[in-house]
Amino acid sequence: MANYYDIDDILVEEEIVSVKFLKEASGVGIDPSSEADFIEVDSKVELPFWLAHELQLRQAVSVYVPPCFNQKTRLEIQADCASVDLRSRCPYFYEFGCKIAPIVGDRTIGVLLLSAFRNRYKEILTKAHTAAIAAGSKFWTILTNEEINLYETAQSAMASFKKWRMGGPRFQIASILGRKRKPAE
Amino acid sequence: MYGRKACQLVKEFASGEKDQLTPFNNDLFDQVISECSQHHHELQSLIRKMQEEGLDVQTARNADHYGALIHLFSIVRNKRCLTAYVYNRTETIRNLLWKIGPVIPKEIEEKLNHWEEEYFKKHSAALRDYMSKALVDLTVDMVPPKDPYIQVRVLEDIREGIVLSDNKNPNFARHSMHFLKRTDAEKYISRGLMEELAG
Repeated sequence: MANYYDIDDILVEEEIVSVKFLKEASGVGIDPSSEADFIEVDSKVELPFWLAHELQLRQAVSVYVPPCFNQKTRLEIQADCASVDLRSRCPYFYEFGCKIAPIVGDRTIGVLLLSAFRNRYKEILTKAHTAAIAAGSKFWTILTNEEINLYETAQSAMASFKKWRMGGPRFQIASILGRKRKPAE
Repeated sequence: MYGRKACQLVKEFASGEKDQLTPFNNDLFDQVISECSQHHHELQSLIRKMQEEGLDVQTARNADHYGALIHLFSIVRNKRCLTAYVYNRTETIRNLLWKIGPVIPKEIEEKLNHWEEEYFKKHSAALRDYMSKALVDLTVDMVPPKDPYIQVRVLEDIREGIVLSDNKNPNFARHSMHFLKRTDAEKYISRGLMEELAG
């Protein structure tokens, strides 16, 4: 449990997957379609990943491939990787993919993730190093969280490089205080 | 859905800007804890039911067993979210000490939980203690300066608590400029009270 306290890891595991129950379970209110607190065998329920994963380990459920790795997305990624909106599909596309692949037993997900990342990586770095993209730009909205981190890291590296070349003040206000508005005179 | 509230708590932390604190959400925090007690209660009643039916709780794999499992995982998940929330906030608070020194500005103090304030005080006392024994100030800039003195401009009137290493007591009126020892000026700059004038 190396990243037990990791915020992103927790949020990845909150992603919803659909599962089919292989065993029955009583006394739980996780199936909105059933009125009693009872889950029948073969009922389809949407569960967060953390629960589905634990139940799958005990052979209580079988997990379906989530819609963000379906055939349609794959075709889009093959066609023009850099302009696919991965964020709306799943903000943790890569991390979630890595976690879900061994569980659904689909070997093609790994290849999909690798090819998607490799092709988008180049595009992101080029943009981060050259263009000064405004916050409202459309480019931002299609990146996953991992890619946004990458983008910001690349930009700050560029900023540090420029600062090193031009020189500037070493000390600055601590970032935790934020930008303060100047008090009115 | 189970664990939804705990996740909200974590999301709230994640949505804040990096290195910035949001106010401690006591309300949601307590709600998650009571959700845990609710799960615990239902878990126990399921196990009691199994015992009444004369089943071995360790080995039986009936519907009650899986129901109990789901409640157990929900508790474990909630616990993880709660501890992660506290842990990550604590990390930010510890960094605060290194960046702006042992005095918390008022606008940040309002965001802290009672326990977090306590932690901050104890942590800064421990650090102070260590530094006085080791006879070195660890909070100063890590990069060796080219010049021990720098030019600064005062951004806000500083009247109280001015401690300089040469025991002088200068008038830090707003917009005045001074030539100070770097180590003296550092803490005022990081608190946003002065700015360095690039030479």
